[in-house]
Amino acid sequence: MSGEDTGTAGGNGDGDGNGNGNGNGNGNNTAYLVELASALRASGLPDERIDATVADLATHLEQTGTDAVEEFGPVGEFAGQLAPPDGAGAAENPVETWRWTADTYADEALLNRFGAEGWEVERIDALGRFVSRRDTEQVQQWEYRRELVSLLGREGLDERLAPDGWEACGNWLVYAWFKRPVAVREGPAAELAAPPPRPAAPGFRAAFGRRFRWTLAVTAAVIVAVAVTVGVLEGDAASGLGFATGLLAGAAVPLALMAVASWRTERARARADSEAL
Amino acid sequence: MSATPADRRASWFKGVLDLLVLASLTGGESYGYEIAKSLDAAGFGRIKGGTLYPVLNRLEEAELVAAEFRAAEKGPGRRYYTLTDAGRAVLKEQGAQWLAFDASVRELLAEGGVA
Repeated sequence: MSGEDTGTAGGNGDGDGNGNGNGNGNGNNTAYLVELASALRASGLPDERIDATVADLATHLEQTGTDAVEEFGPVGEFAGQLAPPDGAGAAENPVETWRWTADTYADEALLNRFGAEGWEVERIDALGRFVSRRDTEQVQQWEYRRELVSLLGREGLDERLAPDGWEACGNWLVYAWFKRPVAVREGPAAELAAPPPRPAAPGFRAAFGRRFRWTLAVTAAVIVAVAVTVGVLEGDAASGLGFATGLLAGAAVPLALMAVASWRTERARARADSEAL
Repeated sequence: MSATPADRRASWFKGVLDLLVLASLTGGESYGYEIAKSLDAAGFGRIKGGTLYPVLNRLEEAELVAAEFRAAEKGPGRRYYTLTDAGRAVLKEQGAQWLAFDASVRELLAEGGVA
């Protein structure tokens, strides 16, 4: 693994490295096994396992009379197969991941923009961010849509959209997002030859559009105006403040309940999704 | 070190998905969702679009299936896939190879006491 991956057993031994079956690769084979043991040690494999593996391989080479490089391949690669790094599974295409956020005034446009660059949303995390991935070798384009759902159920929405290739990819409060590969419409033409450069995460202004900021500002202004009015009418600033606090707390409770319900739905969906092939 | 049951199943599935798609088209033309549904009904579970469509693309590029986009009466329309003669030949040849492989696996597993 470390820096030894191109080393072959040939090159410093007595043979010329192409002995195949007549025992003239023995010196090379020994060098190969020594190098292999050191690569396995560097990868953190326990000594007893290394000893057992190397002994086993030596017997194999002896009995088959083959050259180690021909039989097992370059020593670094073979060591990597014998002791893959943690988390390395079957050879999959490399994947990029990315989390980003946007309000519901800007999300569809941004989702479709990033989808056209190959980003697939897998789920929405507890902070409401889109958890996205992109296969860097086989880059498919994706398209998205958002639908309103009730907290009590989706009333067959998934089944209605599925025949056109839409799959649920996230829930947040009363919103459900769906994705589908553009290949559903365009076939192979929807595949990108190479992934475009990774986009910068949308800035605050792009992620939270003017309408969202206006809605927030108007809501805050209304709460302040009502609080001031209550304070003036009752001649007591504290009661105006209390009214505003009560208003905010009253709104926070159903919002929190909605957030919990939606988070549970999303968690169940993401779990089912992870079991799909 | 060893793969989880889900990983192992996914890797078997990926090795044979193209043949399964070709096989699912022997009954006539179909579209992505219908193909996914037939694989699900056959016991493979839900197939994600991200798994199925790259395979359909590869089969189309290799001219093993032909695709045609057709407008629907309502809705945006769909791409319908049909098996080509080349696809039928590949299915026959590689399907037979798979069955031979499967028979060897079964034989060895039976020897190993797996019923």
